[in-house]
Amino acid sequence: MALPISLRSSVTPPELELIASEQLIEIIPLISMDKTAFISGAYGPLRPPAKCKLPIWMATNLKLKKKCHIVPPDWLSVDFLQDRLTRETSQLEFCAMPFRFAEIAKIVLDVASDDLENPDKIRSLLKDLREARQAKSREGITKLDHSELSLPNLCSMEINEIRPFFIRSMGVLTQLTRHPAPADGA
Amino acid sequence: MEFETGEETKLQELIRHWMNERHAPDILPAQSTLLGRLLDHIRKQNDTVQLLRADPDSSEDEHFRIMLAQTEIERVKFIVRSYVRTRLYKIEKYARYVVANPEIQERLSATELEHAKKFAHLMESHFHRTVLQSLPEEQRGLADEVVFMPPMIPEPDKTRSVFALARTQCPPVRLPDGSTSEMEKGQIALTPYYVVEQLLARGEVELV
Repeated sequence: MALPISLRSSVTPPELELIASEQLIEIIPLISMDKTAFISGAYGPLRPPAKCKLPIWMATNLKLKKKCHIVPPDWLSVDFLQDRLTRETSQLEFCAMPFRFAEIAKIVLDVASDDLENPDKIRSLLKDLREARQAKSREGITKLDHSELSLPNLCSMEINEIRPFFIRSMGVLTQLTRHPAPADGA
Repeated sequence: MEFETGEETKLQELIRHWMNERHAPDILPAQSTLLGRLLDHIRKQNDTVQLLRADPDSSEDEHFRIMLAQTEIERVKFIVRSYVRTRLYKIEKYARYVVANPEIQERLSATELEHAKKFAHLMESHFHRTVLQSLPEEQRGLADEVVFMPPMIPEPDKTRSVFALARTQCPPVRLPDGSTSEMEKGQIALTPYYVVEQLLARGEVELV
């Protein structure tokens, strides 16, 4: 019953999505529900049309049963993403984005695209943003050495994407630098 | 940007330890108390659900809450299972190393340690019965140290790199190239595991 082989080397995107789903998101409920205690905390009461904060997994669950509208986070809008994309393509550093933006954007776009304004535009902006950032993280490999690489503003999904390659590269660099050391001492 | 600064719930704490365990090359200290509390919580929540389901007067609204509570129970169970299985994978992989090192044994729970010992014993007796007993005496060793060869007892590779995210302002750490580095809250760094080992043990960084 040890961990299956496919999961041993790295975390998978669905697992990251599971973790991101614990974060809270605002919804407009269409049903009412009293305050209820859950393992992760107490949520509610739901009183339509008052807004309420719930974990994302609960919001998607309600949304799929057409019992709420999801209020997308501020950053999931055409204006915000357009602004970030402009900055992302004009400067060298990564722009600050919420740590789990890729996972949350995917969940919201998947289940609640009708609650978003212009979801197609948002999709294409996210894709452009992803490509711009991916290019930068690939460039980051040139700065890799055996001791440390600081990666400001890199996000969870992006880390997971570069993880296997970066860890192996760093492993090779470590071996290359470690081996001469004993010879020096001898 | 926005890092949740509020109090972390027990579940979030477990998720953090789960991810640490998944990324760390070494076996981390067992979180027995935390795990016990969450298992208790699952049991309690389960009992409540059963009680509500048995009640024939429950409204549709009530059914809804039951469904959400059950969904959450399954989610938490998944995380608990994955956490335990991650540890089990490492324990079986390094079973013989664990048996030989009292230092690492402290990081295992009593059941885990027992499993490691049994597992190591089973492996050794299996090797002995199937192959080693028909070899000459001097070739039967399972712990020979041969120069230029990897050790026969696999041990955690602490030089493997990890992505560490600082949860608070961290005290300076020494890097392999001799310089020191100080991580600020929210900073992410790719660095060998042994560099951040102490920070991780104190909960000042988490692995992502």
